[in-house]
Amino acid sequence: MGLIELAAAKALASSAVFLFITLLMMASAKRISTCIVLFSIQSAIMAAEILAMAYAGKSVGAYIVAALVIAVKVVAIPYALFRIMKDLKASQDVASSTTGAQSVFMMAGLILLSFFAVAPYAKTLRLDEDLLAAAVALLLAGAFLMVSRKKALMQVIGLLVLENGIFVAALTTTYGMPLVIEIGIFFDLLMGVFLMGLFVFRIRDTFEHLDVSKLRRLRG
Amino acid sequence: MTLVLLLLVPFLAALIVLTCKQSTRAVCVAMSAGALEVIAIANAVWRIRSNGVLQSGRYLRADGLTAFFLLNVGLILSLVLAYSIGYLRHIPAGRFSSPRWFYSLTFLFVFTIMAVYLSANLGMLWICVESTTLASALLVGFYNTKGAVEAGWKYLVVCTVGIAFALFGTIALYLAAVRSGVNPESALDWAVLMNAAPSLGATGNLIKLSFVFVAVGYGTKIGFVPMHSWLPDAHAEAPTPISAMLSAVLLNCAMYALLRFDTITSHAIGSEFSHTLLLIFGTLSITVAALLMVVQRDLKRLLAYSSIEHMGIIAIGVGLGGPLGLFGALLHTFNHSVAKSLMFFTAGNVRENFGTLRMRRIQGMARSMPWTSAGLVVGSLAIVGMPPFGLFISEFMILTAAFSASRYLIAILLMVSLSIVFGALLHHFQRMLAGKRVDVPVKLKLLPSDFAVMGVCTMLLIVLGVHIPGAFANLLQRALVVLQ
Repeated sequence: MGLIELAAAKALASSAVFLFITLLMMASAKRISTCIVLFSIQSAIMAAEILAMAYAGKSVGAYIVAALVIAVKVVAIPYALFRIMKDLKASQDVASSTTGAQSVFMMAGLILLSFFAVAPYAKTLRLDEDLLAAAVALLLAGAFLMVSRKKALMQVIGLLVLENGIFVAALTTTYGMPLVIEIGIFFDLLMGVFLMGLFVFRIRDTFEHLDVSKLRRLRG
Repeated sequence: MTLVLLLLVPFLAALIVLTCKQSTRAVCVAMSAGALEVIAIANAVWRIRSNGVLQSGRYLRADGLTAFFLLNVGLILSLVLAYSIGYLRHIPAGRFSSPRWFYSLTFLFVFTIMAVYLSANLGMLWICVESTTLASALLVGFYNTKGAVEAGWKYLVVCTVGIAFALFGTIALYLAAVRSGVNPESALDWAVLMNAAPSLGATGNLIKLSFVFVAVGYGTKIGFVPMHSWLPDAHAEAPTPISAMLSAVLLNCAMYALLRFDTITSHAIGSEFSHTLLLIFGTLSITVAALLMVVQRDLKRLLAYSSIEHMGIIAIGVGLGGPLGLFGALLHTFNHSVAKSLMFFTAGNVRENFGTLRMRRIQGMARSMPWTSAGLVVGSLAIVGMPPFGLFISEFMILTAAFSASRYLIAILLMVSLSIVFGALLHHFQRMLAGKRVDVPVKLKLLPSDFAVMGVCTMLLIVLGVHIPGAFANLLQRALVVLQ
C-alpha cells in the first residue's frame, strides 16, 4: 500500500514539470489548433493529478471532479473550439505581437518568477512548492497569452489556461473545494466558453475579421 | 420557500416570455412576472424584518444586509420594467433582438442577481457573480452593432478574468479556514466563517492575500479605477433600461460581495488592512472618474463615469468604517441607484428624440422636451449631492465620518472631486439644455409610464433627502448589524 501511495505522490510531483512543458510549447506555438491541443493535454495532466489524489485519499468526490475535468476540459471545450475554428474558416495564425523566441523567453521568465512568488507561502504552509509554482505560472501564462495574442480565440484559450491555474491552486492547497462548488464552477466555465464562442461569431459577422487589436472604436 | 420563490419567479418568467411571439403578449407576461417578483421581494423583506435570518436548505440564506439590497433590486426592477414599455418601441426586430429576447435575458439577469444576494456560501456567491456577467453580456451586445459587439466582448473578457482573481481569493480564504480547523465541507459558509473568524487570525498573511485578490476581482465588477475599462463601454452600448440595471443593481451586487469578504477579513485580522485597500481604490476611483467626466462627449458614457465615481464614494464610506461611514455608504448605494436610474431614463428619452447621445449635437432640450429636461435637471442636481436630495445626506455622512476619523486628505480629495463633477455636469448640461429649439428628427411622445417612473424617482430622492422614513432606517440598521 505504501508503495502505491509513493507512486501517486511521485506522479503528483512530476506533473508540475509536464505543466511547465505545455506552457513553453504554447508560447512557441504558431497555430491556434496547436494551442487547443496543448490546452487539452494540460487539462489531461490535471485530471491525472486528481485521479492520483482520489486514489490516495479514497474520496468519491475527487473521482467525480476528475470525470468532470476529462469531460469538460479535455474533450468538450477543445472539441467546441475546433468546431468554431472550422465554422469560421479563419486563418490558423495566432497573430502574436512577440516573436516565437521572445514568447518562450517571456514564458520561462514567468515560470521562474512564480517559483520566487510562492516560496514564502510554500514554506510556512508546508505545501508542494512545484505544484504551487505551476499554478501561479499557469495564471501568469494565461494572462500573458491574452495580452500578447491578437486573435479572439486565443484570448479564450488564455482565459482557459488562467482558469486551469486557479484549479491547480485549489487542488494543491486544499485538495479541491466542496463538490457542489466545483460543479458550479465547471458549469460557469462551460457557459462562459459557449458565450465567448457566440461573440466570436458576432465579431466575425460585424467586423469581418477576428483581430481583437483592431477593436478600438470605444476608447476613454 | 420564501427564498426559493424569489429565484423561481424570474427563472420561469425568462422561459415563459421566450414563448410569446407577439410583442404585446411578451410585455404583458413580463409586467406580471415583474409584479410577482416585487411582491415576493416585499414578502421576503417583511419576513426578514420579523424573523431576523431566513435560511432555506444549506445554500440559501438571507439576513438584514440581504434584505436591504433586495429592496434595492425590487425598486429598480419595477422602475426599469415600467420604463421599458416606452423604450421597446424602437427595438428593431432582429434574430435575437426582439422584445421577448430582451425580457427573457433581463429576467435571467435578475435571476442571477437574486442568486448572488441569497447565496449562503462564498463559493456559491462567486459562481453567481460570474453568472451575472454571462447573463448580462448578451444584453450589452443586444443591438449587434459594431460598438455593441465590441463592448459585449470587452465586458465578457475583462470581467471573467477579473472574477477569476476573486475565485483565487476565495480559495485562499477557504485554505485559511481549513487550516484553522473548520470542517472543509462547510468552510465556505458565511455563518460558519463568521463564527470562526476570530480564530482565523493565525493565518493572517493568507487572509490578506485572499482579500487583495477578492478586492481586485470583485473590484473589476464594481468598476474600481484601474480595472474599470469595461464599464463605460458596457453602460454606453447596452439598451438604456439595461444601462440603468447595470449601474443601479449590478454594481451594488458586486459591492455586496466585497462587503461580505470585508466583514470576515475585519473580524479575522482587524479592519486596518482591508479598509486601507478600500480607501485607496475609492479615492483613486473618484479622482480619476471626476477628471474623465470633464472630457466626455457621449451622455451615457458621462453617466457611466459618474457611476464609477459613486462606487468610489461608497468604497470610501466602507473604508472609513464606523457606524457613520457604513451607514452613509449603504444609504448611498440606495440613493445612487435611484438617481442614476432617473438619469439613464432621461438619457434614453434624449436618444429617442435626437437620435444621438453626442452631447455636442444636442441643444435646446429645455424647449423641445421640457419634462425630460426637468428629469435630467433633478437627476443631475441629486447626483452631484445638492440638498434637498438624498445623496446630499449620504455624502455628508461620509464626509463627516472622514473628518471625525481625522482622514483629512481623503476628505479633501472627496470634496475636490465632487466639485469637479459638479463643474463637469454643469458644463455639459447647460449646453444641452439651453439654446434655441431645434427641429428634432423623431418626436416620440412620453407615455404615462415614463412620467410615473420619473415622478417616483424624484419623489424618492426628495423624501430620502428630507427625512429617512422609520421603517427604512430600521432596515438599514439591521443591515449594519450584519456588517459589524
